[in-house]
Amino acid sequence: MLAMDQGVVEEWLSEFKTLPDSAISTYAVSLKDKGALVPALYKVIRENYSDLLEPVCHQLFEFYRSGVPQLQRFTLQFLPELLWSFLSVSAARDPHTSGCIEALLLGIYNLEIVDKDGQSKILSFTVPSLSKPSVYHEPSAIGSIALTEGALANHGQSRVVYSGPHLQRETFNAQNRFEVLTFLLLCYNAALSYMTTTSLQSLCQLSSRVCICGYPRQQMRRYKGISTRLTVTSEFLVQLITGIHYALCNGEVEVGSKALDDVLYRAQLELFPEALLVGNAIKSSLHGAALKSNNKEGTRSIQVEITPTSSRISRNAVTSLSIRGHRWKRHDAVDLGSPDELMDISEVDEGDWPVGLGSDMTPPTITISNSVTTLNLGIKAIKKCRLGGRSSKDKEAGPLTAVRAASESAELSVKRLTLTSSQSVPKAGALTSLTRTASAVFSRSFEQVNSGNGPAGNHVASEAGRYSCSLQEDGMGYLSPMPNHTQRSPSISIHLGSDL
Amino acid sequence: MTTRKSGSRLETEIERCRSEGQWDKIPELVRQLSAKLISNDDLGELLLGECKLQVYLKENPIKQGSSPRGPRLKLVEVRKHLTAALDRGNLKPDYLQEASLLMAKLCYVEAEFREALGHYGRVNLDEMQLAGAPVYRLSMIAEAYATKGTKTHPQNSGSPSSSRSTTDREQEIITCYEKSGDIALLYLQEAEKVSGIQNRSPKPGPTTQEQELGYFLETGLQRAHVIHFKNGNLTQGVGRFREILRAVETRTTQNLRMTIARQLAEILLRGMCEQSYWSPLEDPPAVSPLDDPTRQGHIYIKNYSLSRSPRLYSGENLFCPQENTEEALLLLLISESMANRDAVLSRIPEHNNDRIISLQSASVVYDLLTIALGRRGQYEMLSECLERAMKFAFEEFHLWYQLALSLMAAGKSARAVKVLKECIRLKPDDPTIPLLAVKLCIGPLHWLDEGEMFAKMVIDMGEKAAEFRAKGYLAIGLVYSLKATDASLRSSQEEYQRKALGAFQRAQSLSPTDHLAAFYLALQLAVSRQIPEALGYVRQALQLQGDDVHSLHLLALLLSAQKHYHDALNIIEMALSEYPENFNLLYTKVKLEAMCRGPEEALLTCKHMLQIWKSFYNLTNPSDSGRGSSLLDRAIADRRQLNAMTLPDFSDPETGSVHATSIAASRVEQALSEVASSLQSSAPKHGPIHPWMTLAQIWLHAAEVYIGMSKPAEAAACTQEAANLFPTSHNVLYMRGQIAELKGNIEEAKRWYEEALSINPTHVKTMQRLGLILHQLQRYSLSEKVLRDAVQVNSTAHDVWNSLGEVLQAQGNAAAATECFLTALELEASSPILPFTIIPRAL
Repeated sequence: MLAMDQGVVEEWLSEFKTLPDSAISTYAVSLKDKGALVPALYKVIRENYSDLLEPVCHQLFEFYRSGVPQLQRFTLQFLPELLWSFLSVSAARDPHTSGCIEALLLGIYNLEIVDKDGQSKILSFTVPSLSKPSVYHEPSAIGSIALTEGALANHGQSRVVYSGPHLQRETFNAQNRFEVLTFLLLCYNAALSYMTTTSLQSLCQLSSRVCICGYPRQQMRRYKGISTRLTVTSEFLVQLITGIHYALCNGEVEVGSKALDDVLYRAQLELFPEALLVGNAIKSSLHGAALKSNNKEGTRSIQVEITPTSSRISRNAVTSLSIRGHRWKRHDAVDLGSPDELMDISEVDEGDWPVGLGSDMTPPTITISNSVTTLNLGIKAIKKCRLGGRSSKDKEAGPLTAVRAASESAELSVKRLTLTSSQSVPKAGALTSLTRTASAVFSRSFEQVNSGNGPAGNHVASEAGRYSCSLQEDGMGYLSPMPNHTQRSPSISIHLGSDL
Repeated sequence: MTTRKSGSRLETEIERCRSEGQWDKIPELVRQLSAKLISNDDLGELLLGECKLQVYLKENPIKQGSSPRGPRLKLVEVRKHLTAALDRGNLKPDYLQEASLLMAKLCYVEAEFREALGHYGRVNLDEMQLAGAPVYRLSMIAEAYATKGTKTHPQNSGSPSSSRSTTDREQEIITCYEKSGDIALLYLQEAEKVSGIQNRSPKPGPTTQEQELGYFLETGLQRAHVIHFKNGNLTQGVGRFREILRAVETRTTQNLRMTIARQLAEILLRGMCEQSYWSPLEDPPAVSPLDDPTRQGHIYIKNYSLSRSPRLYSGENLFCPQENTEEALLLLLISESMANRDAVLSRIPEHNNDRIISLQSASVVYDLLTIALGRRGQYEMLSECLERAMKFAFEEFHLWYQLALSLMAAGKSARAVKVLKECIRLKPDDPTIPLLAVKLCIGPLHWLDEGEMFAKMVIDMGEKAAEFRAKGYLAIGLVYSLKATDASLRSSQEEYQRKALGAFQRAQSLSPTDHLAAFYLALQLAVSRQIPEALGYVRQALQLQGDDVHSLHLLALLLSAQKHYHDALNIIEMALSEYPENFNLLYTKVKLEAMCRGPEEALLTCKHMLQIWKSFYNLTNPSDSGRGSSLLDRAIADRRQLNAMTLPDFSDPETGSVHATSIAASRVEQALSEVASSLQSSAPKHGPIHPWMTLAQIWLHAAEVYIGMSKPAEAAACTQEAANLFPTSHNVLYMRGQIAELKGNIEEAKRWYEEALSINPTHVKTMQRLGLILHQLQRYSLSEKVLRDAVQVNSTAHDVWNSLGEVLQAQGNAAAATECFLTALELEASSPILPFTIIPRAL
């Protein structure tokens, strides 16, 4: 360490001590003009054995404790570097040197987990719901499509705790280490916009090192520090990814993408679904966006362009929206009518399938061109699913569940076989709209077949033939295309599995 | 032939056609008009000029990014009409303004920018009335502002003009665009109201013609925020986005809203944090880190107000986000609903492109949703959202994989495995996917056959699996190891143990730096009672990962198997200093303490566990702390009692327990159905154990200590606490049997044991006790059968062998008895204080 750096740090140490309380806020603002200070402090933290480390840590803690936002952020910017210093020392099982860093980290943690009244802080947020009006939308305009069962089940917003309450910690141990560090990263991420590029780079570096040390990739990255593997948790990786994402989008493309790759590599090895999920999403969402690497301080790569406002999807393509229009327009014949009728159906569920129902609805008989097979689907298939759904369920499962299970599986079969979307089916009206959709959809798609009469038509038919519907756990079915691609005859099989 | 219309009706009709853009009807109306009044000739010229210009623009739309192309032949006529209308000056002031605006637009289309500006100079746009103006005029004004902004645009920004005036100019331009955008929104809202499609029911007929925005309005709506972002002025850009989004949606703005909502969500997630966020209804902060500090001079101040603004969403209890994730989520949910609506479902080749577009726009939204919800740990909701993405997902690996991961993170394991199967089909070369499936199969699902299949997939990949190959062997080793524990026949048990050992050895040799491979190898050796070898590998594991809790635990158990109880206790205490809240370690500690330091110490540890449990549970469920308190408070009732070394007094069941029981019962109902009333202290489930199960286990451990102290009353009280939580647990019943035995009620004990076995027929400890009792009752052959069954289930239980020997001896079968005693002796020499299988096995 150069004498000059040492001088700068020492001056900083003494200056703050003599500061009167009234001058703190102006001092906080003036901090960022001290150009040589921050690099000098980084050096102190990196050189673990420096005599200055202890007073520096102490003063950083004082900054944090002052409660002045600028001072707190000044401390926070060193967090990635401090974390790495702490982790590498504890991995090397040399517990004596990192004492003051440990104390600083625990100090920040213990300050942050309580609010100003000393109560445990609980971080929560509201999960917005489309079924409640907001400043950006009106539920009626969204239409039923977004109101899935899930949304209906928890009608309205719900408040969800995402962090806290946390216990006060006096020491680090293997059990609480990552719990504390994850929370510290959460605090860091909450102030990301205020972090300097150096700090963001340091975060990316920390992420890479934590993830690859001790693994074969370490050689690839040519990092020669410690080579013991560090245990990590999925939550910790998710917090790291959040910071990396910000860095990636705000000028640190190179280190950022390296870090993201390394975290994903580790998440794969550890089989952490959470980290993989978020990491994959970031990778995929940035795939199209051209990220500009800019070295200039403060350049953001967030850019928007004027986009055409008209729909880019051609009018005659069958979409979820258009198919709904068809349903209403053409298939009044199979309309079951009032929801009251439906209630009856679900109530008589214990008995046999109401016979009267069949007379109301003629199952659409569909003939496919170039094929002798006649598909007779619709209500029969649904009935079959329904019975299967019930038999595979617990006897105690209410009638509604059975109907729902059936409707879901049948609906999904419809979805895949032909071209509809998963409709949001209001529970009571499940069957009505389902049959509507089913019949509408069947006739619609096969109309195309009929009119197509060529290779295109064939395509749909064979496509349809390749799926089988299976009823699976929780009564939720989904489809998997059968591996047999050569099968051409449009037969539809319904397997009922009871993987409960 | 059209019927002649009276003057005012005709004017209304003209206004309607202009507002609805039915330009083809205008010439006919003009013909009717000219037959009426002389002074309307000029108006006719205006209308003809307008309609021809509009038709031209419809046929030759100006594209964003390209500049207008100069004079066109077709436009000559337009110019003639408009010049005629303007020149005579007979028009009413309103119409005169319109004519000027149209002329300016024409000039713009013909790339005569200077002239266009001249025409604008004649009209004071700011003074044109917005209130009460016909709908078409709103559009005209909006377009005029947009064109004005475009032309004021500094064409060559490189010119070193004084920065002050550049800033002013920029300010003026942005104001033009923002006004244009606001009026455009107002226009679209009004137009929709007029044409009566405001009431959009969920049946949007394909017949309703979609109005298109056209170049000018598109520019007006979007250019302002584009400039903000280009200038690095995020605060203003976000503000503008919000203004547009808060305006009530119209059919025409749907796509724009979807794009903007997504872009705003992107900015919220990529460029903002909790501390730099401000809510849509708040004023933006004066200084924000979001704005480019190098362009401080370009701060734009909104300084206009329109006499009429677009309608905003309003009403009571409007949800207004308070945090960036909340806002991002709201916007993404809105975008998602729109993206879903546009999902192209047909799979015919003609619609390939449409499908790709709809897939892309949806994928972006789903990726952003994943980022937002993942950050907040809301995997349950995320899995529901991604489920909706499945209509796009045919053969789309990314969407399938993300769904699988979200299901896994949400704990919906069975479904996750099924989706993972589809992922494997789509991407058979990726070893991670089958490994994730194995993780679920051997973890929460306990589907060992499926797990074996997935693990074999990884192994079959061979060298291609690279670093994952060792993981594959580890996985299959775990599957075999678990199968060995489950197997009821000794031969198959041994077969699986052998296979497991082989797999772990392979994994260890492939990845010698992986502590897990060494650890599981050690564990497997320990289970097969090869204690010294196991010790070697567990040391190796600890060298690689010094603070691994399971390795430390195994080391302690191995030491206890060698009867080094004090060393084992030291190891446990060391492990506890790193993992003070690990109940598994604490259970072992109780056992070891009872052995080395006497039951009083063990009871203290039980008490300590209850305290940990309380602090743990109180914290994780702050809202419930009031409800469950009675039980908990009683659990640690009084510190003074601690000195008396007894657990809290339960003598008065009326006062507290009723309340606690009812709560516990309702709480545990779900847990009960899940665990099927089996409370396996010997093999705790991996993952978050239900807190009530932990509590019950603590009580049972305390009961056991009391039994060891021959204190049946206290033991019964502890068991009762556990029974309140899990009345049908076989462990509770087994404990009751032991208490009855302690009291000397052999018949009662037998009844309890039988009940325990009816719930869990393979509970070896119960079988052993029952065998002993039957022996005492001199029902030797039945006793022998029970004990032989027990040996089948667990061939390493030395006390069962011992009891079996006694029974055989009593029956006079001395030779067989000797063999049993010898086996018991041999096994006892390597028996740990708690079964090795107490250590969870998971990937």
